[in-house]
Amino acid sequence: MSFVTQRPLELILARNLMSALSTPAFLVDEGGLLVFYNEAAGMLLGKRFEELGTVGPQEWGSLFGPFDESGEPIPYDELPLVRAVRAGRPAHAELTVRSTDGTQHEVEVSAFPILTAHGSQGAIAVFWPSLRNGNGAQPA
Amino acid sequence: MKVKLWGTRGSIPAPGPETIRYGGNTSCVGVTLSDGSMLALDAGTGIRCLGLAQPDEPARLHILLTHLHLDHIQGLVFFAPAFRPQTEIVIWGPASSEASLRDRIARYISAPLSPVEVRELPCDVSFRHCPESEWEIGSARIRSASVSHRGPTLGYRIDDGDSSLAYIPDHEPALGADLDELEEDWISGFALAKDASLLIHDGQYTDAEYPDHVGWGHSATSHALSFARRTGAERTVLFHHDPLHSDEQLDGLAVEAREQWVALGGDPATLELAAERAEYELPARAPSALV
Repeated sequence: MSFVTQRPLELILARNLMSALSTPAFLVDEGGLLVFYNEAAGMLLGKRFEELGTVGPQEWGSLFGPFDESGEPIPYDELPLVRAVRAGRPAHAELTVRSTDGTQHEVEVSAFPILTAHGSQGAIAVFWPSLRNGNGAQPA
Repeated sequence: MKVKLWGTRGSIPAPGPETIRYGGNTSCVGVTLSDGSMLALDAGTGIRCLGLAQPDEPARLHILLTHLHLDHIQGLVFFAPAFRPQTEIVIWGPASSEASLRDRIARYISAPLSPVEVRELPCDVSFRHCPESEWEIGSARIRSASVSHRGPTLGYRIDDGDSSLAYIPDHEPALGADLDELEEDWISGFALAKDASLLIHDGQYTDAEYPDHVGWGHSATSHALSFARRTGAERTVLFHHDPLHSDEQLDGLAVEAREQWVALGGDPATLELAAERAEYELPARAPSALV
């Protein structure tokens, strides 16, 4: 018998779709583990997913922020992805992320859960440049 | 475990002089387990002849459906054991949030598409959604997993003793994905096929045909071969032939596929195209073709 673990098909298909998008997109599994982000997200953060690899929720929060309007770190439990995967509901927020070179990006984040016949399998978050200041990037 | 191919065609039956050798019946594979238990993988038109080959005596048969497209269920109402009161048939298939397996199959086995209704079948028939965890039938452990196709679709792995059969007849694992680069746990169907003694896998399209069929739920030859190479299956049978492919075309495809397989480092003797009535015996770890 094979004991190889397999990602749920819905996550596999989500990753395949995200790989083809030019919009930054992030994928977490049912436990909140960041399991993939696409090239566009890698450009935003300054680090490709292949360089970073799978990371736990606390770790990716400390790497890239995010921060609220006043510059305070947003608690992990309040991040749209976490709210989506835990509550099984969509979540939206405006926040700031910090790339590896220190550039800060104001973005709008829409996150939604991946619900299947077998329950929640994770969540997807898509980042959009914030319209608040006319563009999505500011120097650090 | 003995495996016999009763229907190798995809989409629609393709009978005629052009398809005699590879066959014109749609998907059905008979599996006889080491304890004598009998399984049918899918119930395309090939299951009609499988049914005719079953002895007319009390029996318990299991039909494992990958999905409910017509080329995988069309033979159900022509399956002779279903009309024998002494036969018990258990039909397994994918769950759906929309309706039960019985109700979805009854859409086909009911007027005006069928002269009989499910409730009129003389056999003792039951319907079961495949569980998420593995389960046992006879001497085998069965595992199913959702795979990349259109609509709820399963692939199966059957382990009986040390031998294993992976059956993924409708599968497009390369949709939006590079099978040569992806980590294995991100490849649809990978766990089912990993190190299988025999892999029966979708190979509906040639590489030249595939660009016009992206997203239709089937594999190009090169995708099927990449999948087979990544999973390490010991022997691979390309299955679910396109109804437009004649024996002559499939002969040519077999040659091309073996050339690609060798280029990938494979042994040409471990790859073939599915032919109706072909049989395989899967002893310990080295399957051998009987026919």
